[in-house]
Amino acid sequence: MEWVEVQGKTVEIAVQAALEELGLSSPEEATIEILQEPKAGFLGIGGQEAIVKVTKRPPSKKRRRRRRRGRGGKHRGEAAGNEQQKPRKEERRKEPAMESKEQPKPDLEAQAAVARSFLEGLLEAFGLEGEVRTSIEDDVLSIAVVGDQTEALVGPKGSVMQAVLELTRTVIQRKTYGAPRMRIDIAGYGERRREALKIYSRKLAEKVLAEGGEIMLEPMNPADRKVVHDTIAEIEGVRSYSEGEEPHRSVIIAPEEEGTEEADDAE
Amino acid sequence: MEQGRIVAEVVEYVVKEIVDAPDDVQVEVVPDGKDAVVAEVRTAKRDMGRVIGRRGRVARAIRAVASAAGDEEGVAVDVEFLD
Repeated sequence: MEWVEVQGKTVEIAVQAALEELGLSSPEEATIEILQEPKAGFLGIGGQEAIVKVTKRPPSKKRRRRRRRGRGGKHRGEAAGNEQQKPRKEERRKEPAMESKEQPKPDLEAQAAVARSFLEGLLEAFGLEGEVRTSIEDDVLSIAVVGDQTEALVGPKGSVMQAVLELTRTVIQRKTYGAPRMRIDIAGYGERRREALKIYSRKLAEKVLAEGGEIMLEPMNPADRKVVHDTIAEIEGVRSYSEGEEPHRSVIIAPEEEGTEEADDAE
Repeated sequence: MEQGRIVAEVVEYVVKEIVDAPDDVQVEVVPDGKDAVVAEVRTAKRDMGRVIGRRGRVARAIRAVASAAGDEEGVAVDVEFLD
């Protein structure tokens, strides 16, 4: 049985994400279990996200359980207004250990091969020369598209790169019924961006050290926030924490409070 | 070289990779004023949902990639999904 566990701000958002992950178009095709109801926090702190487990229903079996919230169908999700560009925040968590009998581990090697073949075809359609490399680490599929010409697939602020990732994920889902966690870098953009973000974070930390006060950075995705947190953690006298709700969660750099050893709320 | 050739190649390739019925995919790139084209995408009815994706995510990704293809040949691109 194919299933995914997805976390999201609301049950609705999590379910929609899960259905998409499973390549289903309607909640009717799945069994939905709500593992955790969301709870509001204060300013995004201390809240709890909804966690749902969504299992693909075999086409012939009669329905076992209906979801009580009706359709999550083709409509824009109510909280979907600002999900432009940013990759979805809900994290999918596969826990093959729990149901390893029914749920054979998705074949990451096969999925990597699908990704390579799709991206090689994409380069060809663009008429670009480049190479696609994949690697698998901790169940995450990392894709690197390399070659000077592949810069064309990065786009402003990596927007085209994110679109390419989205399409790759869709194709993998389509061909292997499920998709792993994935990461992509094209023409070394991600690496360059991380370096730039580190330098920027250090500059802001210096400013905080010199002038006091806190500085809030622009909203960032979890991966970028982690780069900032990691950079700040190495600098004496400053600390960092995150505030706000995805996708507008931002890192704040602040002077280290005296006498408190903050285990910073990195994420 | 007529404008929109790369756009057509890219959009057709991507859509065919996503759908169940690649043979039913038709992509027509038509000029839309100076240095602009519209890529009209037609698929089997049952595949349209896949191509649009939940909350339009896949459609948005196709548009972004189509625009990148347009940049390669100096045209602005709009993608229309038609039944």
